[in-house]
Amino acid sequence: MIEIRGLVKRFGDLTAVDRLDLTVPAGEIFGFLGPNGAGKTTTVKLITGLLKPDAGSVRVAGFDVASQTLQAKRALGLIPDEPFVYPKLSGAEYLRFIGELYGVPLSEQKRRIPELLSLFELTDWGGELLESYSHGMRQKIAIAAVLLHEPKVLVLDEPIVGLDPKSARVVKELLRTLARRGTTVFMCTHILEIAEKLCARVGIMISGRLTALGTLDELQAKAKASGSQGLEDVFLSLTGGHEYASLLRHL
Amino acid sequence: MLGLLFWRKVRTFVNALTHLTPYERVRNAAFTLAGLGLLVGLYALFHKLVAYLGTVPLIGQLLLWKLTAMVMLATFMMVAISGLLTSLSTLYYSFDLKFLMNAPVPLRALFMDKALESLFFCSWMIGLVQVPYVLALMRVNHYGVGFFLAFILLMLPFLALAAAVGMTFTLLLLYLFPSSRTRDVVWVLSSLSLTVLYGMVRFAEPERLIRPDALQVVAEYLAYLQAPTAQYFPSWWLTAALKAAAAGKVAVLARNAALLYGSAVLVYAGLTALAGRVYFVGYSGAQAGRQRRLELRIAPMAERLLGLPRELGALFWKERRTFFRDVKHWSQILLIMGLVFVYLFSIQRLPLDNADLKSLVSFLNVGTAGFVLAALGLRFTYPAISLEGRSWWVLGSAPVSVGAIMRQKFLFSVIPMTAIALVLSLATNHILQADGFSAGLSTGALLLITWTLAAMGIGFGAMFPMFTVENIHQIESSLGGFVYMASALGYIGATIMILAWPMQMHFQERFGRPGAWDWNLVGYCAALYLVLNAAALAVPWSLGRRTLERYEQ
Repeated sequence: MIEIRGLVKRFGDLTAVDRLDLTVPAGEIFGFLGPNGAGKTTTVKLITGLLKPDAGSVRVAGFDVASQTLQAKRALGLIPDEPFVYPKLSGAEYLRFIGELYGVPLSEQKRRIPELLSLFELTDWGGELLESYSHGMRQKIAIAAVLLHEPKVLVLDEPIVGLDPKSARVVKELLRTLARRGTTVFMCTHILEIAEKLCARVGIMISGRLTALGTLDELQAKAKASGSQGLEDVFLSLTGGHEYASLLRHL
Repeated sequence: MLGLLFWRKVRTFVNALTHLTPYERVRNAAFTLAGLGLLVGLYALFHKLVAYLGTVPLIGQLLLWKLTAMVMLATFMMVAISGLLTSLSTLYYSFDLKFLMNAPVPLRALFMDKALESLFFCSWMIGLVQVPYVLALMRVNHYGVGFFLAFILLMLPFLALAAAVGMTFTLLLLYLFPSSRTRDVVWVLSSLSLTVLYGMVRFAEPERLIRPDALQVVAEYLAYLQAPTAQYFPSWWLTAALKAAAAGKVAVLARNAALLYGSAVLVYAGLTALAGRVYFVGYSGAQAGRQRRLELRIAPMAERLLGLPRELGALFWKERRTFFRDVKHWSQILLIMGLVFVYLFSIQRLPLDNADLKSLVSFLNVGTAGFVLAALGLRFTYPAISLEGRSWWVLGSAPVSVGAIMRQKFLFSVIPMTAIALVLSLATNHILQADGFSAGLSTGALLLITWTLAAMGIGFGAMFPMFTVENIHQIESSLGGFVYMASALGYIGATIMILAWPMQMHFQERFGRPGAWDWNLVGYCAALYLVLNAAALAVPWSLGRRTLERYEQ
């Protein structure tokens, strides 16, 4: 599970994350939404230990990210929005490297690496250098690498962007399966349809603050008063997007 | 359109300057001051050389202008080769090219924009180094400010012409072989040409220039001095123009200046016309990823079989594979081999005719070979952390400590550096037939220098990580690179100073002085040497580790 308490991150005068309190239990798929620049990616980096908080704490699978960093990281799997991977390694070699770093036994790697490559239709590309992969293929290999070491907590930043429809479907199914097995999934996304279909609960962040949190039904009930329908309307209602509707019509 | 493209560069530069944090301001000021210090040092060195040559009876001035012509020719060659490499990156692999190629920007304007960028990056540093030389020339010969002004105005077309040679070569090569593999070929070719150029200059034994006795016939020597150096090259036009400026011959100055400016205009007009036809073909081909099928084999890693712990083994395995697949590294290895060969050749040609001098040179070799190792460290060890690049998130989010990452990088660097240090030391001592004490001391010291330099390189590299740069040269020439190099040279200097004491006692003993060894002093030296090495090893290492642990991506 993920436990975030009073988390603050500032960049100069800008408070990117402002006193965030959030708990995502084991087995839940949590959707983290918000407009661009709201602080979602900063939150992801704080959870995964890529940034140090100015205040507050993050616990991952019971380990404090600041003081028990390696244990927390061992329990974590990250899929960033831009999956830069070593261009001079082949896809299979990258998986092999990740397998060793996370302590996956060799026999397990021998079995799972070909399986994962096949799952993402990368078997023919497994021996090619990653520099020749497209964005979507790199995204797939990053997801495959995370699945290889079976983390207890999975943090994804826009995981579906760049994937073809078939792979996107595979990823959605995988996330559901993993959650059923008890994996915590924390997912940033702009694709509201995915949040609607996958996430048990959704949090909406605006200017570094968590302005809404709850199940979809709870959020829709909250927004119904203003006549909003569906998550998109809820999102726009909460983030002030309706103000631009007339401008968009004009354009 | 070119104006608009230029405007964006100016705005970027101005914005970068106006948004500096106080730390960045202090850092940049320190960097600028250090650079100025370096230029002042070069000026002092050039002044000594120029003043010495100027005093050679009868042929002093001839020697000076011959040297100037050779300096300008070497500058031309260096900028041309540098232009080849720089233009390859800027013309075909700049981060903003995808955007610019999609935008309604005429191809020729885009080419000129990138060509000017290449020109700037490949020539500014080499051009700047000419300034202290010309100032020394001015000071010694009492030339006026007009001479310096002429130099500045003439350098612009001169550097532009040199860079154009490299750019034309790149443009044509990518047109004829439009593939990402061409980039690798260019890297290897340019490194080979640099190695050959360096070797040719060294094997030509330029020191004979100031030894007229080396040439048998005096008239032949004078004719050599008076003859133009590469007459049809812009370097000679520049030298002739400078000579005319010094002598106040306006017509000759104007003719050579017209040659330089006229050629530059013609060459760039020709390049732009050529680019309209060939640039896009090369660009398009260069973007295609290379297919290289590797065997899909999941076997135990060699590093693990050798007994390295799991995470260290995995990191080392990754480093080994990525390093040797990057052609840029091979080309540098070619350069190093050339450098080592020329170094040993220079040692072999030293005019040393007594055993004491040979042993002394064997000791001083600690300094010169140490400098070579420090320079290698700047190229290979210091950038090792930053070369993780945008993939740093993989290690940043993995259950692996920063210390382990640094240890792996250290290990990967220190093995080849130790081999080079041993070759430099053992071969030098063998060539010099140095006595046992001098040979042992210099070999031991050089080994310790190697290990400490490797630790310093990793430590400073971690202290100044640059994960978002486009090429390795930006890492080497950054503030951190400068701090590493300055610290490394300071450390080598301190090593020589400390070890000079036991060396002196050893020589006193050789010269027959009884009781030459002061054991208290030896103990003091040993303690000082230990402290120096411990500090040089531990301070940058621990500071670097802490910085990298706090690094925010």
